[in-house]
Amino acid sequence: MSSARLRAALVAVAIALGSCGESDRADDPLQQEATTSEAAEATTTEVTSPDIHVDRFPTDMLDEVLGRGELVCGVSGTRVIFSETQPDGSVVGVDADYCRVVAAVLFGDAGAVEFVSLTTGERFAALQSGHVDVLFRSTTWTQSRDTAVGLDFGPVIYYDGQQLLARAADGYSSSSGVADVAGAVVCALAGTTTEQNVSDAADAAGIDITLTDFDAIIENFIGGSCDIATADGSALAGRKAKQQPDDQEWVIFPATPFSKEPLAPAYPQNQSRFGDVVNWAVYATIIADEKGITQANVDSMAADPPDAEARRLLGGEGVLQNAMGLEDDAFYQAISQVGNYGEILGRHLEPAGLTRAGSINASWRDGGLIYAPPAR
Amino acid sequence: MTATMGDPAAGAGPVEPWDGEREPAQKPEEPSLSAGEWLGRNLFSSPVNALLTAVFSLLVLLVVRGLLNFTFSEERTWRAVKTNMRFLFTHAYPQDQYARIWVCVGAIAVLSGLSVGLLARAGRGISMKKLSMNLMATGGVIALGIVLREPSAIVDDEGVALHRDASAAVGDSFADWLDANAFTVLAVLVLANAALAVWFHLQGTYLRGGPEPRVGHGVLVLASFGVLIVQQYATGEIVRESFVDAMSDRAWWWLAAAVLAGGGAALWSGLGDARRRNTFVPAMYVFFVGAGVMVLSAWVYPWGHYGFLEGEFINEPGRTVAMTTKLPWTVMLVLLVATYELGRVLRAAGAGPRLRVPLNLLWVLTPFVLYWAVLRDPDLDWDHVLSTDLPMALFFAAFGGLVVWFLAHPRIGESGRVVAVVLVAVAALNWVAAYFGWYPMLQKARISFLLLAVVALLAHNFAGDRAQRMKLVAVWVATMAVFHWLVTLVNSPSTVDTPTDALIGGFGITLIVAVFTLLLAFPMGVLLALARTSKLPIFRVLSTVYIEVFRGVPLITVLFFFTLIFNLFLPDNMTLVDIAGATIGFALFSAAYLAENVRGGLQAVRRGQYEASDAVGFTTVQRTLFIVLPQALRVSIPPLVGQVIATFKETSLLAIVGIFDFLRIADKVISAQSEFLGVKREGLLFVSFIYWIFAYNMSKHSQRLEKRLGVGER
Repeated sequence: MSSARLRAALVAVAIALGSCGESDRADDPLQQEATTSEAAEATTTEVTSPDIHVDRFPTDMLDEVLGRGELVCGVSGTRVIFSETQPDGSVVGVDADYCRVVAAVLFGDAGAVEFVSLTTGERFAALQSGHVDVLFRSTTWTQSRDTAVGLDFGPVIYYDGQQLLARAADGYSSSSGVADVAGAVVCALAGTTTEQNVSDAADAAGIDITLTDFDAIIENFIGGSCDIATADGSALAGRKAKQQPDDQEWVIFPATPFSKEPLAPAYPQNQSRFGDVVNWAVYATIIADEKGITQANVDSMAADPPDAEARRLLGGEGVLQNAMGLEDDAFYQAISQVGNYGEILGRHLEPAGLTRAGSINASWRDGGLIYAPPAR
Repeated sequence: MTATMGDPAAGAGPVEPWDGEREPAQKPEEPSLSAGEWLGRNLFSSPVNALLTAVFSLLVLLVVRGLLNFTFSEERTWRAVKTNMRFLFTHAYPQDQYARIWVCVGAIAVLSGLSVGLLARAGRGISMKKLSMNLMATGGVIALGIVLREPSAIVDDEGVALHRDASAAVGDSFADWLDANAFTVLAVLVLANAALAVWFHLQGTYLRGGPEPRVGHGVLVLASFGVLIVQQYATGEIVRESFVDAMSDRAWWWLAAAVLAGGGAALWSGLGDARRRNTFVPAMYVFFVGAGVMVLSAWVYPWGHYGFLEGEFINEPGRTVAMTTKLPWTVMLVLLVATYELGRVLRAAGAGPRLRVPLNLLWVLTPFVLYWAVLRDPDLDWDHVLSTDLPMALFFAAFGGLVVWFLAHPRIGESGRVVAVVLVAVAALNWVAAYFGWYPMLQKARISFLLLAVVALLAHNFAGDRAQRMKLVAVWVATMAVFHWLVTLVNSPSTVDTPTDALIGGFGITLIVAVFTLLLAFPMGVLLALARTSKLPIFRVLSTVYIEVFRGVPLITVLFFFTLIFNLFLPDNMTLVDIAGATIGFALFSAAYLAENVRGGLQAVRRGQYEASDAVGFTTVQRTLFIVLPQALRVSIPPLVGQVIATFKETSLLAIVGIFDFLRIADKVISAQSEFLGVKREGLLFVSFIYWIFAYNMSKHSQRLEKRLGVGER
């Protein structure tokens, strides 16, 4: 460990000479002797496999995050509906709201979030290296990511799926199927699973398509280089709502997507206590949605709970949150400051022309897939 | 200092020795040509020249027309750029702390004003002839742009362009016909020009130098310009306004063109030829008037008021720009003018020589102070400052001061070297101790000690009388004060709370990274160049290896290494933040290139210069600092500035390593905002424009520097 001190010092010179680091006293090498207590918690860096797995938190991550007083949340920052960066630098969307939910659960303050915008390429490395605590970055839960990449996933917050976007003038309608696009030029984002999915779907339907890689698929779709654009349904709906020219009509099909994209939060592996907090923060919003506890009525519900589960959830008798290392009113704070599942989804889906009702993202009582384990 | 040496012109005028300036040699004066004669001699002097003029002016106009039509098209959503202006320049820097940004801009304005007023070439400035010609040319270019731009589309209440009824016949007007046959007509006009050129050539008209070529070719060229303009009044699919409406809609622009061209013409004709040539105004005044007009337009012209405040979009097209924009810029201009005048007053009072060094030091210090003290607003832990930081700074100032005082004694002799070597050994041992973790110590103490050891080694080069030694001690104490103050600031957490992990982004981070990169890379580059030309093999080999490695690796690889991989080599709880890593990567990379540029300059210094400096008894350090480097750097200005511009532009690679720089915001972030989904080209054009303004100014500045130092003349 001490052999690394010299390098530390060299970097310290570099920092002192003019790089622009936002240094924190606790982390700063220039203050090493002043921070022996932090040094005692020194973390080890181990490179175990080609998938670099850095175990940043041999001590408990929940304690570390609670001690820091701020949640560092990895988001996209460039995805409509889920997380878009506004002109003042603030981040809005479903993912961003769930970061706030977790922050409210942890600290009682939905504002205690530091958003880090990550590209698809750097998102897992950022999580593994401890740069971010949790990833709400419209990330699909897959087997390989859950196992080989070294992440753990929380509950699904949005069931997405890949669809096709076409012009009605070309004879497509919302009831068209994959088989109808035979011979068309289909544009997909280069080098993504999106591309693989659409080619698999075409094979399955027994048709030939011309697949073209593009970085800017919608621009090329508008420009006419693509007959069909393909991406996740939520992304296509957002584009259609905002970018459809006045003299065109776009349609999204097939009604049943041809890939499964369950979007879920991800956090470092083997951090059960922190993982539990993230999971139950999401579940709490879903239970609140089932019970009709909204941002508006949460105060009266807390004063006069409709049933025992709601009472426990909102911090009344039999409360379980303290056993998780949280305040009793953790979930109350999340719902009162951010809202329940339906509210969060609704406020961001509606501007994009999507509805929750009738989709697979409806509550299980209404035939959807959104279901939370009971809070007891 | 070198520029005046052996210069025959030096004795002619009053040359200020500290200035390193001299009057350029006067070119013999040519009589002014009339506009027609100028055209005849320069544009239509031979068949080939006439044809080149015809073809290339047409091509240039086509490009300009395309750019204008793109920029002013009703399909452009410039609101995306205007609304995101703050975002583009500073990313998420909080609005309630925005005064800090303006303090930074103001500090730079004050320093620029002082520097230009105090140090810039007294020179004669811009002659009235040049000024009036430039004014007329600018007015003419604006007028050409006004008529060249296509007419605006007629839009409905919702801002959507109206389309023509599909049944309406196309081709019933001259413009429609021209639109359909534009290519043919232009080709015919160019061919006619060629035919005319052959005819004139056969007749010997070019040799006679009469007005016929310029009239004949000129008419045809103007006709082809006319085609480019009139063609656009074909109504096409979209309903567009008429010629008269289009021209009257651009009344403000006509006014600007008329004022510029009219002013220029009035100046031109009001002064006789001799007075035009021999009346000068300072170049800065011209700049001030231009900037003043821009600032004034912010107060009177309805540029529109756009923004994003507390979750609401502000969208008021008919208004002047926001008070938070126009007021600060007005203040900045006033500051600039005031400090420029102050600088001139000081210069006239003869304060220039004394203020030059402090001013340059301020320039070097400013980026550090502005970033760590102003922008970051550090939250100082006063207990720690009083118990540790301040005593340590005082100790090093006092102890180091004493060491310098003794070692700079002229008769210290060998014992001075022994002390210095002991100090170096102790400093080295400190770092070895750090390596093995033997005893804890603040790293800044180690750095201070190392600095002291280096100064001790060099001290005998600056030995002198009592006053000289006092000065050395003062320099050391000041260095320690600034160094310890800055490190304390760096170590304090910031109080500025942004919603993201970065303090500042956008153009701010572009500038910050570029400035710090150059501050790091320049000294490194010079040292590397000296090492590579050194007689000591170890320096030579190490430096050569370093330079060849970094020049042989793509910049993006270096950046990836320092932002992603480097952290894995760092110990325990230490990480290098992205921006610091990227800055180090940029600096190491451009240092290698700068070193090669400087080496070119070193090789241009003649052998005799070394021998002469040896003959007068200079030490190696003195020879390098006072004889070799000034000449070498002077010669390498053009490639050095080229490298500076390249580094400035290369900062756009920050986008790839995940930092929200100027380009990434325009390219990826704005086009993903639901309000401006897919609006990308506007942002990219704007970003290119800003990059161009900065790069062009750097290039212009280097040209002035070259002229001042006489590069290329000797």
